[in-house]
Amino acid sequence: MADAKEPGRRDALRTLIGAGGAALGCAVVVPGLVFVVGPARGSGGGGRWVRTVKLDALREGEPKRVSIVADERDAWTLTKDVELGAAWLVRRGDRVFAWSATCPHLGCAIRAGDGAGEGGFSCPCHASTFAGDGKRGEGPSPRDMDALATKVEEGFVVVDFRKYRTGTPEKVEIG
Amino acid sequence: MTIGAKLSAWLDERTGHKKLLAAVLDEPIPGGARWAYVFGATLALLFVVEAVTGALLATAYAPSVQTAWASVHYITFTMSGGWIVRGLHHFGCDAMIVVLGMHLFQVAAYGAYKRPREVTWWVGILLLAMVLGFAVTGSLLPWDQSGYWARRVETNIAGTVPLVGAWVQGLVMGGSDYGSLTLARFYALHVAVLPASLAGLLALHVALYRKHGNTPPASLTREAARKTEPFFPSQVAKNLLATLLVVAVVFYLTVKHHGAPLDAPADPVSDYPARPEWYLLWMFRLLHVFEGSAGSVAALLVPAVVAGYLVLLPLLDKAPGTAIRPRAIVLGPLVLGAMGILGLTFGSMQSDAADAGYQASRKKADARAEIAVSLARRGVPPGGPLQMLRSDPGLHGEELFTKSCASCHTLGDLGDAKKATAPSLDGWGTTAWLLAMVHDPDGDARFGRTPYKGQMPSADVAPKDRKPDDPPFKPMSKEDMLAVASFLAAQGDAPGDPPGAGRGDEAARKAGEKIVTDRCTGCHLYKGDGDDGDQGLAPELSGYGSLAWVRAQIANPATKATYRPKAVDDGKSKGHMPRFDGDLSPADLDLVARWTRARARGVPLGE
Repeated sequence: MADAKEPGRRDALRTLIGAGGAALGCAVVVPGLVFVVGPARGSGGGGRWVRTVKLDALREGEPKRVSIVADERDAWTLTKDVELGAAWLVRRGDRVFAWSATCPHLGCAIRAGDGAGEGGFSCPCHASTFAGDGKRGEGPSPRDMDALATKVEEGFVVVDFRKYRTGTPEKVEIG
Repeated sequence: MTIGAKLSAWLDERTGHKKLLAAVLDEPIPGGARWAYVFGATLALLFVVEAVTGALLATAYAPSVQTAWASVHYITFTMSGGWIVRGLHHFGCDAMIVVLGMHLFQVAAYGAYKRPREVTWWVGILLLAMVLGFAVTGSLLPWDQSGYWARRVETNIAGTVPLVGAWVQGLVMGGSDYGSLTLARFYALHVAVLPASLAGLLALHVALYRKHGNTPPASLTREAARKTEPFFPSQVAKNLLATLLVVAVVFYLTVKHHGAPLDAPADPVSDYPARPEWYLLWMFRLLHVFEGSAGSVAALLVPAVVAGYLVLLPLLDKAPGTAIRPRAIVLGPLVLGAMGILGLTFGSMQSDAADAGYQASRKKADARAEIAVSLARRGVPPGGPLQMLRSDPGLHGEELFTKSCASCHTLGDLGDAKKATAPSLDGWGTTAWLLAMVHDPDGDARFGRTPYKGQMPSADVAPKDRKPDDPPFKPMSKEDMLAVASFLAAQGDAPGDPPGAGRGDEAARKAGEKIVTDRCTGCHLYKGDGDDGDQGLAPELSGYGSLAWVRAQIANPATKATYRPKAVDDGKSKGHMPRFDGDLSPADLDLVARWTRARARGVPLGE
């Protein structure tokens, strides 16, 4: 065809095809990228206040392990009253201190006793020890026990339960 | 040489891509580029869109009866961009079916199925069947009402085929009923079997098309047809523009519907007004045109005849050229068939539009879908979306009331006032209702239509059958009636309720209680006691209208918690309310009691 041989027209069509192809590609790729990258970003802010035991149930200075039970949302699934983890509570007067029961080393469950000093904690897996105030003692743990915020509501101890990455010297929250 | 050219030369030495690309792009088109040739390429590009969006959806979709609907809901309403991806996938499929129709007609009109292109045509027919297979399997995957019921009816029709029907049905469904295996099988077909088969056949189709080239229109002179134009750029530009146009329409539909429609979760025991997708409505219509079992036969036979005709077309056409007129007879059935399909499709749509019963069920189904979609935003329990719906007092309470209560009672727009044989529950237990009850118990909305008519005397109107030597009738004062009504209305109040109207003050309610214990316990129970030696028939008044009272009355009205056994069982009270603790589970009893009490009193359901 005579028209197609004109280099001007051919170049213009070439540009148009490039633009059109890019538009078609973007129409699919852009929403696709948004879709796939969205969940990978994570929602962040995993903290939530969970009611545990009555303040009266805690004896002065004696560590008590409590289960953290709350609703769990995994994508579309909402499961009621799931045991999300555990925390150690220690009462000192009217204040309650709480630490995650997950060892900051490699995630084993910390137990009371055999710790650094009186009323301390230890990890049964790799023998890290912690003092009664959660401070790191002997062993491989890279940091102190992960402290959690607490408050007392209607006589119950309420814990701001969060999860942190294990194996790092810094306390980095997992979303 | 630029870097780009160097790189290209390096690659060409190793792959020979330049020659390949040239072969693809410089393919000569006899008679030049045409809009009529855009359909095939558009379909191929749409298939790529479907493949990409399909793979994206598969990163979040979870094919099981408990999770399918919830994950599609999550994709559509929670994940960023999810609604666009799903909308493109859904409407892209619709677009493919439309463009397939156009492609088929263009090829038929141009006579492009004629020797030596018969095999290209047959492969095309197979591709058409596969695209329909994609559409049909895909619409089951959200496991929502519309897809579920459409497929269930279709597999039942397939089951009526003589000899092999039941076996094929079982094979497709993975058993005798729709369930986990059905969904898994449709998923496997949709994402593994069909894509692999279609990709292979599409490659064959394109290779055959390239081997034989385009068929120019018969009207083109021999000389004009001899003049050719390379595929690139004119035809490529036309193809791309056509595809962009279709994708623009697909985008428009996606935005308009915010993704793709999602009906309520599939519920095997619901009364859903099943309809197939628009491209199968004509077959659905056949079921109506031919009554009874002839409908099923027609719904199977007619598509078989259509398919048979399409396959045989290249062999039936003995005309020497591709001009339309000599081929009018062999192409006649194609045109007539298309008109028939269009006619049946519109007939089906019109008949549904004019069918008030269908519209009412459709409206109900839409309302349920809307509630389900809104509930699922808070998350779906591990038991799945049906469990979510069944534990929602607002939705399931009303369903239970409709099923179990509305044949005798009326409440709001539920139940039929003309056929009611039990009190209307509108406002039941409120001060206004109780005032009306003590004044005129036999009113139509109260005992007037029940076996208790004539059993309860009015507090302020003398009984008609009074004998002359009876003690003189002393009507209760308005003030006392109000005291009784406010006291009894307060009996049903719950801590979470908003303050009810006409509850009076503490003193008035105390006065009301005194009147009740003095004057009503001759027949009624109050806190488990009456002063008639248990002779009366009338119900317990403590806690009247409370959740506990309502639940007890529904579970079993003859436990003394509400009525006494003899008020229910003796001959006079035949037709009294039956017990439901055998029909409804304890959880359902809770739900329907909560719902009925809240709706009657006009208070919120609460959590």
